[in-house]
Amino acid sequence: MLSRTDAKAAGSKIPAGRLTLTDFDLTLPALGLLVLFFVVPVAILLARSVSEPVPGFGNYAELLGSSTYLRIFANTFLVSGLVTFVSLLIGFPVAWALAVMPSRFASVVFAILLLSMWTNLLARTYAWMVLLQRTGVINKVLIGLGLIDKPLPLVNNLTGVTIGMTYIMLPFIILPLYGVIRKIDPAILQAAALCGANRWQSLVRVLLPLAMPGMAAGALMVFVMSLGYFVTPALLGGTANMMLAELIAQFVQSLVNWGMGGAAALVLLVVTLALYAVQLRFFGTDRMGGR
Amino acid sequence: MLLNFDRLGWWKLVLIGITVLTAAFLLLPILFIAALSFGSSQWLIFPPPGWTLKWYQELLADPRWLESAWTSFRIAIIVTVLSVLLGLVTSFGLTRGRFIFREALKALFLTPMILPVVVLAVALYAFFLQIGLNGTLTGFVLSHLVLALPFSILSITSALEGFDKSIEDAAVLCGASPFEAKIRVTLPAISHGIFSAAIFSFLTSWDEVVVAIFMASPTLQTLPVKVWATLRQDLTPVVAAASTLLILLTVLLMVLVAVVRKGLKS
Repeated sequence: MLSRTDAKAAGSKIPAGRLTLTDFDLTLPALGLLVLFFVVPVAILLARSVSEPVPGFGNYAELLGSSTYLRIFANTFLVSGLVTFVSLLIGFPVAWALAVMPSRFASVVFAILLLSMWTNLLARTYAWMVLLQRTGVINKVLIGLGLIDKPLPLVNNLTGVTIGMTYIMLPFIILPLYGVIRKIDPAILQAAALCGANRWQSLVRVLLPLAMPGMAAGALMVFVMSLGYFVTPALLGGTANMMLAELIAQFVQSLVNWGMGGAAALVLLVVTLALYAVQLRFFGTDRMGGR
Repeated sequence: MLLNFDRLGWWKLVLIGITVLTAAFLLLPILFIAALSFGSSQWLIFPPPGWTLKWYQELLADPRWLESAWTSFRIAIIVTVLSVLLGLVTSFGLTRGRFIFREALKALFLTPMILPVVVLAVALYAFFLQIGLNGTLTGFVLSHLVLALPFSILSITSALEGFDKSIEDAAVLCGASPFEAKIRVTLPAISHGIFSAAIFSFLTSWDEVVVAIFMASPTLQTLPVKVWATLRQDLTPVVAAASTLLILLTVLLMVLVAVVRKGLKS
C-alpha cells in the first residue's frame, strides 16, 4: 500500500531483511489497542447521548436548558479560571527566579517541584483535607495569630478546591514558563536598560511580552486540565459547587443515566478539544502535555 | 538587567521571597502528612500530642491494604512492560516511517494524554460492562495501558529522533542483521528514552484513580481505590501512614532516576 511504496521511495540503502514489515505495520498493534479500547468506547458513550432513553437531542436540551446544570458549567469555568489565574500569578515570578538564580539553588527548587508532581495525587489531596479542616493547622495558626475568632470554613467549598487544585497545577505552569524565560536573550533586557527603561518599564514592556506565549500556552493547558478534574474537586469541594467531571460520574454511577452522562461527556470533550485546537493553532505542538 | 541575577537589586529579594514561599507551599503538606503519620492523635491534631507507630501497624495488619497494594503493583508492572514494548515498536514505525497519515497517527496516539480521564473512565466502564471486563486484572491493565502508552511513545520517539540512524545502518553494512543492529546498537543508544518511558508508565498506572474507581470490584481494587474509599468515610491517620509510604516510594523513584541518568551520561 501507500506505506510500502513510500518506504521504497525514501530509498533506504539497507536491503530489507526477510522480515518485510513496513514502518506503518509497526504502529498497528498500538493502533488496534487505541481503536478498540479508546475510540470505540468513547464513540459508543457519545452515541448513547442521542439514543437513550429515546433517539433525539432531548438529553442536550435538558442539560443546556436547566439552571442546575448551567450552574455546574459556570462553576467548572469559575474554578478552572481561578486556579489558572492564581497559578499564573505565583508561577511567573517563580519561573523567572528559577531562570536567573544560581543553578545550585534552582536545582533544590526543581527537586521540590518534581517531588510534589510525582507524589500520589490522593496523598496530596488528603494532606489538604487535613490541613484545611475546621480543627486543622491553618485555622489554628490563624486563630493563634488573632486574625480570626472562629475557624474559617476552608474545605468543602470553593476555597478548598482552589487551594488544592492550584497546588497540583503550579508545576505545570512553572516548568514550561521556565523554559520560555530561559530562552529569552538577556541582552534584550540590557538593551532596554541602556535605552533608558527603568525596571518596571523593562518588565511590562519587554519581559512580559516576551514571556507571553509561554504564559498563554501554560495557562490554557492548566485551564483545560482543570476543566476535566475529578478527584480533587470531589474530595475538597462541596455539593454546592460541583464540577462537570463529578456530574458525569454522578449521572453514570448513582443515576445510571447513560444518555445524560454521554451528553455531559460530549460537552466536556468539545470544550477541551476546542481549547486544544486554539493552543495548536497559536502555540504549536511543543507544549502539549506540559513536559 | 531583569535576567541578570546580580543586577536585579531589591527585586531579587522579592523574587527569592516568592520562590521560597512557593517551595514551602509545595513541600510542607508532604512533610506534614509524613509527620502526622507518626502522631498519636486520632483526629490528626498538629503538633501531635505524642508519637506512635500504631497507624503503620494498623495499615500492615489489614490484609485489604496489602492486597490492594499488591494488585496495584502487579497491574503497574504488567502495564510498564507492555507499554514500553508497544511504545518501542510504535515509535520505530512513527519516527522511521514515511507514510501519509503519520502526523495524524501521532496525534491520535497522544490523545488519551490530553483528554479528561473521566470521559475515558466512563466510556470504558460502559464498554467493559458489556464485555465482562470490569473488576478484572485484564480490564485494569488495558485501561491503564491506554493512559500510559502516550507517555511511552513520547519518551521513546524523542530519543529515537535524537539518534542518528546512519550508525544503525553502519552496523548493518558491517554484517549485522537489521534486527541485530536495532537490538545491539540502537536500543542501548536510546536507553534513556526507554527508561523514562518505563518510569512514566509505572507511575501512570500506579497512581491512576479515576478509571480505577469505576473499574474496581469488591474483590479487586487498587491502592488508590482503597485510599479513595477510605477518605470518603473519614480522615483516619491510617491514610497518612499509607500516604507516607507512597511519598517514600516517590523519593526512591526520584533517586533511582537521578542515579540512572548520571550512569547513562557517563
